[in-house]
Amino acid sequence: MAYNIPEKYQDLTPAPQLDKKTLNKMVWLSCFLQASFNYERMQACGWLWGMLPGLQKIHTNKEDLKASMAHNLDFLNTHPFLVTFVMGIVLSLEQNKADTATIRSVRISAAGPLGGIGDALFWLTLVPITAGLTANMAMEGQIIGAVLFLIIFNAVQFAVRFGLMYWSYGLGTKAVTLLTSSAKEFTRAASILGIFVVGGLIANYGGTSLRIVVGDPAINIQGLLDGVLPKLIPLLITLGIYVLIKKGWTPVKCIILILVVGILGCAFGIWTGDSKAMDADGNTIPGGYTPLVEWYQLPEEPAE
Amino acid sequence: MGDISIIQALLVFVVAFIMGIDQFSFLESLYQPIVTCPIIGAILGNFELGIVVGGAYQLIQIGSMPIGGAQPPNAILGGIMATIFAVSLDMEATADGVGAAMGLAIPFAVFGQYAVTLTFTFMSGMMAKADKYAEEANVKGIRNINFLEMAVLGCLFGVLAVAGLYGGTALGETLKDFSYQFSWVMAGLDAAGGAMKFVGFAILMKVMMSGEMWGFLLAGFAMALICAANASTAGATLLLCAFVGAAIAIYDFTTQTKIKQNAGAGAGFVGGDQDGI
Repeated sequence: MAYNIPEKYQDLTPAPQLDKKTLNKMVWLSCFLQASFNYERMQACGWLWGMLPGLQKIHTNKEDLKASMAHNLDFLNTHPFLVTFVMGIVLSLEQNKADTATIRSVRISAAGPLGGIGDALFWLTLVPITAGLTANMAMEGQIIGAVLFLIIFNAVQFAVRFGLMYWSYGLGTKAVTLLTSSAKEFTRAASILGIFVVGGLIANYGGTSLRIVVGDPAINIQGLLDGVLPKLIPLLITLGIYVLIKKGWTPVKCIILILVVGILGCAFGIWTGDSKAMDADGNTIPGGYTPLVEWYQLPEEPAE
Repeated sequence: MGDISIIQALLVFVVAFIMGIDQFSFLESLYQPIVTCPIIGAILGNFELGIVVGGAYQLIQIGSMPIGGAQPPNAILGGIMATIFAVSLDMEATADGVGAAMGLAIPFAVFGQYAVTLTFTFMSGMMAKADKYAEEANVKGIRNINFLEMAVLGCLFGVLAVAGLYGGTALGETLKDFSYQFSWVMAGLDAAGGAMKFVGFAILMKVMMSGEMWGFLLAGFAMALICAANASTAGATLLLCAFVGAAIAIYDFTTQTKIKQNAGAGAGFVGGDQDGI
């Protein structure tokens, strides 16, 4: 990354409050949070797209807009319906021209926990209830089931999107003005929270593990590693990539490395991976896939 | 069903295109089988059967929602193909009658999943381009990257659905064999996809990391492990991490601001250290 994101914006005068029209536009764009979802940054680019109407109004200085856009491309994963809460908070920080490190830390700290809350609220509660009730109507051949589902689901969705945006923007604007007197200390505290959450993210989202089973009776290598430290491999990979990026590797280079190691590893049955493929009888494949080179035998009942 | 008109094929493509996008963006509810299946049923001339397939598929689908980046075999192609099979095989419009259609649709649902995996992998590479657009403050470039993924996903889903419409169960068998033969490639993409987020984490760390921060990184890691190990706290892992992290951060903030105030008061007496003696 040749471009270094500056610590401070050039224009440090707080921008005027955003008007309703801009905020509403951002709420609508928030529906496309996952439009460019990918494995590396997840929702980052969709997030930036949604933030742009506000960012363009706030950063009239072109250099500041560049800096803001660059750091708003950080890894982000939150719940798509709750994202406007994060948008409101981040907008209020941007508006008050907080340090870029502060904004980055606050963003990841607010976004991470919301992901879990949103999954529990929407995917595990709202959808099963509404879709469950309406699916029974559909099974009797009534289209009203589908119509009811769409109406209820989207009414809740947009009430949440709009409500959170206005609430958190107001809340953030009030809180930020209190903190501007101790900006340096605030940046430090935000970084502590941010890095704490990143540590949590590594353990929470890190799914990489080993598939290898050796010996007779079978020894599960991953089981041994878990005895040392669960999620050791995700932690080691993250640290390894951190070192590579510090050395000047570009993210693309890191991704290609991961892709090669991932596919080669699965050719030899090293990594766990789910191909979701089935054999001729429609049964799933034991261990998720059949390696190209089979040099060990999975036991009949693979250990979880 | 027999003959499929060009218009029907075109409509199926359009529906699959829209639903392929809607599963991640836009309303995130149109793609549910309860909505998609009746539309496909109507296109193929059997609206009522579509409604029933939609209801049945929806009940299967509940409980396998895409959560936290993990993806079940794709509900959209599964639902579309289940409807196509139910209509073409003229199944009875009851929950039991359409059961077989679900099974026939599974290979297509698996391929729908592959389309998503490939797109997410490809778009990881596009993030370097996004970085470049951001550094140039190129607003249109950022928008176009979002349009690009939506177009790619939509087209892949459209093509798979139309191929399924013409290919039917024979194509389903071919797809099944193919995915069985090359299961290690797709498992490799799955494993690699799961590890790519570590690049995103490493970029974040590059910004925030400094000597004393390492302790907080490991503390957060430990906190998440402990929460995840306990079934009753596992769902709230990141929220609990944020609570503990916030406690530490607030304490640090209070201490640091007090230190600053005291330093300022002391400096007033001795003339100020910052002045260089």
